[in-house]
Amino acid sequence: MELVRATSLEQVDGGIAIHGGTEVVPLLRDGILQTEKLVDIRGVIPRGVAGNRIGAGTTLAELEVDPQVPDALREACRLAASPQLRNMGSIGGNLLQSTRCWYWRLKYPCHLHGGDRCHAREGEHREHAIFANDYCASAHPSDVAAALLALGTRVHTTQRELALEDLYRLPTVEERELVTLAPGELILELELPPVDASVYLKAMDRKRWAFPQVGVAAARVGGETRIALAGVAPVPWLLDGVDGLDAATPLPRTAWKVEVARALVRRAVTSVAAK
Amino acid sequence: MSDVLLTVNGQSYSAYAPVGMSLAQLLREELGFTGTKIACNEGHCGACTVQIDGVPVLSCITLAHNVTGEITTIEGLRDHPLIEAFVEADAVQCGFCTPGQVVSAAALVAATPDPTVDQIRHQMAGNICRCGTYPRIEEAIQKWRG
Amino acid sequence: MARLIRTEKEVEGRFEELWLVVEEDPLQQWPAGPQSVVGRPAVRQDAPERARGEARYTADIQLPGMLHTAVLRSPHAHARVKRIDLAPALALPGVRGALGPGEAQGLDEEAGFAGAPVAAVAADTFAQARAALAAIDVEWEQLEVVLDPDDAIARKQFTSDPVEYARGGFEQALAEADVVVEGTYRTAVVLHNSMETHQAVCDWVGDTLNVYISTQYIWGVRDAVAEALGIPGDKVRVVCEFMGGGFGAKNDPGEYTFIAAELAKRTRRPVHCALTRREENTAAGNRNATIQKLTVGARSDGTIVALGGEFTNAVGWSGWSAGTDGPMQMLYACDNVRTIRYGAKINTPPMKAFRAPGFVEGTFGLECLIDELAAKLDMDPLELRRKNYASANDGKPYSSKNLMQCYELAQKHWDRRDEVRARSDDTWKHGVGMASQIWYGGGGPPSYAWTRVTSDGRVSVITAMQDIGTGTRTAMAQIAAEELGVPLDRVEVVLGDSARGPYATLSAGSSTTPSVGPAVRAAAADVKRQIIEIAAQRHDLEERVIDIKDGMVVSADGNLSQPLEELVGLLEDAQILGKGARGPNPTGMSVLTFGVQVVEVAVDVETGEVRVERVAAAHDVGRIINPLGARSQVEGGIIQGIGHTLSEQRLMDMETGRILTTSLDAYRMPTIADVPEIVCEFVDEPDEHLTSLGSKGLGEPPIIPISAAIANAIRDATGADVHELPITREEMLRALREADEKARERQRESIGAR
Repeated sequence: MELVRATSLEQVDGGIAIHGGTEVVPLLRDGILQTEKLVDIRGVIPRGVAGNRIGAGTTLAELEVDPQVPDALREACRLAASPQLRNMGSIGGNLLQSTRCWYWRLKYPCHLHGGDRCHAREGEHREHAIFANDYCASAHPSDVAAALLALGTRVHTTQRELALEDLYRLPTVEERELVTLAPGELILELELPPVDASVYLKAMDRKRWAFPQVGVAAARVGGETRIALAGVAPVPWLLDGVDGLDAATPLPRTAWKVEVARALVRRAVTSVAAK
Repeated sequence: MSDVLLTVNGQSYSAYAPVGMSLAQLLREELGFTGTKIACNEGHCGACTVQIDGVPVLSCITLAHNVTGEITTIEGLRDHPLIEAFVEADAVQCGFCTPGQVVSAAALVAATPDPTVDQIRHQMAGNICRCGTYPRIEEAIQKWRG
Repeated sequence: MARLIRTEKEVEGRFEELWLVVEEDPLQQWPAGPQSVVGRPAVRQDAPERARGEARYTADIQLPGMLHTAVLRSPHAHARVKRIDLAPALALPGVRGALGPGEAQGLDEEAGFAGAPVAAVAADTFAQARAALAAIDVEWEQLEVVLDPDDAIARKQFTSDPVEYARGGFEQALAEADVVVEGTYRTAVVLHNSMETHQAVCDWVGDTLNVYISTQYIWGVRDAVAEALGIPGDKVRVVCEFMGGGFGAKNDPGEYTFIAAELAKRTRRPVHCALTRREENTAAGNRNATIQKLTVGARSDGTIVALGGEFTNAVGWSGWSAGTDGPMQMLYACDNVRTIRYGAKINTPPMKAFRAPGFVEGTFGLECLIDELAAKLDMDPLELRRKNYASANDGKPYSSKNLMQCYELAQKHWDRRDEVRARSDDTWKHGVGMASQIWYGGGGPPSYAWTRVTSDGRVSVITAMQDIGTGTRTAMAQIAAEELGVPLDRVEVVLGDSARGPYATLSAGSSTTPSVGPAVRAAAADVKRQIIEIAAQRHDLEERVIDIKDGMVVSADGNLSQPLEELVGLLEDAQILGKGARGPNPTGMSVLTFGVQVVEVAVDVETGEVRVERVAAAHDVGRIINPLGARSQVEGGIIQGIGHTLSEQRLMDMETGRILTTSLDAYRMPTIADVPEIVCEFVDEPDEHLTSLGSKGLGEPPIIPISAAIANAIRDATGADVHELPITREEMLRALREADEKARERQRESIGAR
């Protein structure tokens, strides 16, 4: 394996991009990712916050204390991962992280790994999805993605500009990849439209350093509130209004998540309404 | 295999190692800095914490070849007042996580010399201690200046 | 003159008889309370090197030419190796040796659980060894798998015969009871997760095997390895000066040691065999799951008249069925008790002792049941416990018992109930709960120590014990300093090397301090006697008027006051040597530890979040040697127990029997952010019948009551009965729903009655 320190965006072609490395390095070690070429992109990805634009190379640790950042995102960063991981991990990388589904991490031949079943559906799924879980029951672990989704974030890549929700897709038999980036395409910047108020609430089983059981972000623009959830579907989940949880399709051992989500959604909506 | 050039605790080191080797492994096995511990080797426990340019990171999931900044390990913090504070507060049981705790704590007090309890708990939450010395660690950090 | 006696020894609640040679032990216990050194806070002598990263753990050992090992483990929950070919692995670069089933103890043809070790490869680097595993060609024959403990019991598939216990007449007493409460309680599998994984480095030097190992029992490793290899015990030297946590899982050598020893023999190179974190969480032991079907019957005045329990330990493929029934038999005065305990042999990873094995689980069930009884009787839970206070253990007197004083210490914390409950609002409900604790912890013989005073007046205590992070090294130094009358910083403790000291017991069962401490005191007394004899001759005084205080040799009349180093300095290179042995425990008495914890919680009734806000602990473990270290033991036990109660749980795929929570993002131990306010108090009353110290062990007691105390606080806050550990949000929300339904039912009944 070779490591290239990129000085221009073209050098990424054909290799795996590495920024903070908090996801790429463990996945390489487990053989879930394989490559002959790693490309360190820290030199070419924008870093820092300028107005409503956030460089994809900005670390979560930088964002959690940045007063320019909307409340929901700041709180999502603050409650994400551990201090060291926040110091290392970039916001762009955070959006691209993989599920914590134990079957996937332990390389069970599941749908996402190209196999023919979802082991979690019939097996141990108490931390899994309550929406869109018929093909793959994994839960998307990014707090930050839920916050950005609620905030209506636009993503600028090396090739295009898109809404954050279009960065993700639900896996199908034909296409099992959860993100829509083309090979070599990199996230450069995130553009956050102004909001009047926002909040992120997170249920976890430790007070710190835990992935979301349920994360709820809400952002209000005038009388309109957008709600997005982490940890409830294979991708970050935009909730169709306060009653959107009625459409949940929990598995036997994830029904509790619906109850938790209801409470947090109620609180989040109340909170942004009052701000 | 390729060369790695590192600055560790203010001194320059070079090693010859395969790309993909973690900073933790290189520090421990090639350079002899065994104060940095490996307990999970996948970025979950904090035992391997070192500072790069003063910022705590997990050396077990940092690629040695990808380090550009200056590294500080526990060996570079042996005279830090936190050591005495940890000893006095009885913040050391089995001690396997302790070097990582001290490295994290040193960065915390450098940025925030008088951290509140909430700040300590927020910034130290990535260092797992199975013996449960946490109340003592909290006390040690509060009293680090003696 | 030495006396040969037959005596009893207990470890983790398991008893055995042994022969023991005892010397007359003339040492009187020190009076209660702090002495010059003992009973006063002392910082750990080895804390600086641990904190600075200078302490060398097994994981840090690098010997010239050392090889690294990877272990091939069964992917199947139950299978037999039909055919195995190691040759392709041996042909790979860097590979220096390989072992198959039967070639080292622990490598077996039959794999009884997913993760069972079957083969091993040693190579120049760990990466090479790991890569070579993939090249091993194995053909498996899959065998029948049993994962459900109830299924195993129905098939009578036990790890050992069921244990029945009865006193009085349970059935009749229950029939006559005014109030009966029944409940089924379940506890999940939890994992030790010592920060340093299980590992050993084996290095043959001539015909001696040096074993560097992360262990709780260097002498036990010595004997087990010698036996496995068929060599004399003194040809095995076991070294463990620093070890990164054990909690019960490191009491024996384990397959990694036998693998390293055999590969070292074959390759003639030092071999390191270390488990990865994921292997650690698969195959290195666990606190097994339990199912407890419990019944209590009481009179309306609160007198408990009947206790019954059916306990199932889901032990796994091997391990032992721990005493989950113990608390029910021992904690309360009750004439009619009947228990049965099953150890289910199933195709899951083996149980290993984990900090008060059995009693942690059994106390959760029993102490929840007692609080549910209190609720039904509408009686104060503390009052109910006082009312059923036991004055003997199954007819045997206690060597000492101060649980009542623990309750007195707890009273002020218990009295905060109204104030705590008043903090509740619509969302967050606050409450207070308590639970008591009984456990062993008296230690026992044999254990030995030597002391050496050199002519500079410095003291070495030499004993082949180990300090697994509990601070026993410092406690031993305090005991020696106290007895000898020298300042603590004059005393060093040499431990962790089976070739450099006499036998000392294992560090398990809260036994190190009560077992080794008296031997250390006796050894210190032995050198002190000799020093006084020397001083008497040197100064022409009677021995009885001479003492050593604060490093000075002094006479009663004050005329002699000479620094110790000046007196023994006469001897130049000569040394004064002492020895001491641990005597027997008191005959016919139960040596037990006691305690109570009072917990304050807050429960978010909408999201099921449970926050432990405050824990007050009062424990009775006899004399406290080092209050600083003792507090840390209590805090550590409570924090580990909070993990067991709220966030830790090993999950397994029920189709394959494979462990799913092998990494620490999925197996979640408490962080510093999860720690409540902890108040720690001790009765600190020496056990007058137990050794020259009157001290019992403290490693385990604090983890025992915490789960039940949390569950009882949840009930106080919300009215919900949680019956499962861990108390996840799912379980909390279920219990809240059940409580709501019950409340509605009661309301309907009362409306109907009207």
